[in-house]
Amino acid sequence: MAAEVKVLYFGAAQEAAGRAEEEFRAGDTASLRSQIVSKYPAMARIPFRMALNKTIVKEDSGLKENDIIAILPPFQGG
Amino acid sequence: MKSRYLTGGPITPVLISELMTLGNNDPGAGAVSVFIGRVRDDDYDGRRVTAIEYSAYEDMVEKEAEEIVRTVRAAFSDVRSVLIVHSKGIVKAGEASLFIMITSGHRDHGTRACRHTLEMVKEKLPIWKKELF
Repeated sequence: MAAEVKVLYFGAAQEAAGRAEEEFRAGDTASLRSQIVSKYPAMARIPFRMALNKTIVKEDSGLKENDIIAILPPFQGG
Repeated sequence: MKSRYLTGGPITPVLISELMTLGNNDPGAGAVSVFIGRVRDDDYDGRRVTAIEYSAYEDMVEKEAEEIVRTVRAAFSDVRSVLIVHSKGIVKAGEASLFIMITSGHRDHGTRACRHTLEMVKEKLPIWKKELF
């Protein structure tokens, strides 16, 4: 079952998407990733990870209503 | 700012001196180890960086920084406090954008914990930079 989730874009991903956030419908993080890359082809060049409710996603994870997914390009702090 | 680990703009000398007094009420802390990171005026194909604009996923910075503090305290038993402050927003070349302070009973765990904290900040905190020329 696909769920309505909020996607947050950061760093270079925010520039590639041209926005800071938007809603998607997706059943899991893998399908969300492919939706995002097909909507914004520039995203394919960014080696981004995803965080599900502030925790980095290590393997494909199911999504539920109102989950928050952050698109995280490589960190550059310090 | 949603996270107490972030501050808007540069970490000024005034802020640094305020942060350093935080360790003063612990007479058992014989060592204070500090790392200050500054914006470098790197050269990109003849264009020189004049400032960096930092952005952050603030909610996650809070969570990850707390985890770093827990991990460092668990790994170095002589450490008595761990303080991390990173800039968000614009910081000019030469200004500080990262401050780490460790207080410890003695120097050995303090200096090692400071280095370890720095590496974890770079690896774990969801912070991004945009060079301004």
